[in-house]
Amino acid sequence: MIPVLALVAGIVLGLYLDPAVPAPLLPYLPIAVVAALDAVFGGIRAKLDGIFDDKQFVISFISNVLVAGLIVYLGDQLGVGGQLSTGVVVVLGVRIFGNVAAIRRHLFRA
Amino acid sequence: MSRPVDPGSAGDPEGTPASKPERHYAPDFLTQLFQDPLDPGYADAAAGRSGDHEARTWRWGTLRTLTLVTLVVTGMLFAMAYRKTVAEEPDRSQARAGLIAQIHEREKDADDLARRTEQLRREVSAARSAALTDTEAIRLRELEAVTGFGRVSGDGVVVRVADAPDAESANSRVLDIDLQKIANALWSAGAEAIAINGQRLTSTSTIRSAGGTILVDFRPVTGPYEVTAIGPRQMEREFSASETAGVMRRVVQVYGISFEIADADDLTLPAAAEPQLRYAEPLVTPDPTESGAANGSPPTGASPRPSSSGGG
Repeated sequence: MIPVLALVAGIVLGLYLDPAVPAPLLPYLPIAVVAALDAVFGGIRAKLDGIFDDKQFVISFISNVLVAGLIVYLGDQLGVGGQLSTGVVVVLGVRIFGNVAAIRRHLFRA
Repeated sequence: MSRPVDPGSAGDPEGTPASKPERHYAPDFLTQLFQDPLDPGYADAAAGRSGDHEARTWRWGTLRTLTLVTLVVTGMLFAMAYRKTVAEEPDRSQARAGLIAQIHEREKDADDLARRTEQLRREVSAARSAALTDTEAIRLRELEAVTGFGRVSGDGVVVRVADAPDAESANSRVLDIDLQKIANALWSAGAEAIAINGQRLTSTSTIRSAGGTILVDFRPVTGPYEVTAIGPRQMEREFSASETAGVMRRVVQVYGISFEIADADDLTLPAAAEPQLRYAEPLVTPDPTESGAANGSPPTGASPRPSSSGGG
């Protein structure tokens, strides 16, 4: 319950404070969002599996966002930014999809 | 679609969470990704934790706080992304509106220029008819009428074609080839002048399509299309009996395109755009000595001389 409240509080804070994203980081925001989604769904699934671990969650969030951003940054420098961000989105998308499927099985037994 | 992603159908022991902490090293990354999308770290941590978890309550508290902070940051990230998307939307539609405004502006410019061309051309033809003798002027006007570079009026037919009302497939639209065939059938039925949506056709006119739009002499025309032709009395009958009209009627039955032929009186067709001048040579000056010398000397072959019948 508290984690959900924290997430909602973050959304509300973000909407109210409207923090300015530094312009050079702006292109990586969508990728960071996808990476964060992956970490969140991984965490929910682990919680339902009964193996949730705070450290693992925090580290997976930070590393997900950083690595995804870094890969896309590297791709931009090499001129294959679009393709690499597609790759990142596909890998993270598959993971999100799989985790959501597992969550679904936990919640609805189907 | 979701089948390869769904680990439940892969037959692994998903139903019993207790057996989860066993890691399987799949031969390749993608197979593992599809089989088990959960970070293996959770399983490792659970395995490591099963022994001692009383000894680190203070660490547990810090980590819990960190988790909550992470969630707050995640929420803020979502909100920021949402804000950014919303903020970009007006930019996008603004850019689009700007482009549309530019298109309209340029179209207006082009129309203005076309009007000015028309006006200048009238001045030129007035000046020309003042300079020419009567027979020459008549001959010039006839040539202009035939070639499409002069305004003409007279009786003729109007052929209207339009897309089917629910034109989803390309077949239920009027194609460039339809207009080509109609124009050609009208020519062969004896038309002396043809215009499509007010665009006069000349002997070098093109009717083609680009990106779903029909272009007549590189200017887009939109439906309903009106092919106007001036010609002899029997032209309407001949065109109705032509093969093209028959084909169009079948197309009407099958695809719902509308196609009608009507007699029309007092049509006025505008002049076509002035053709690009590609080749010209100076007229022979009516200077008696020079023309005498030119006539007297054998042709040098330096340049072809305009034949007396070709002037005009």
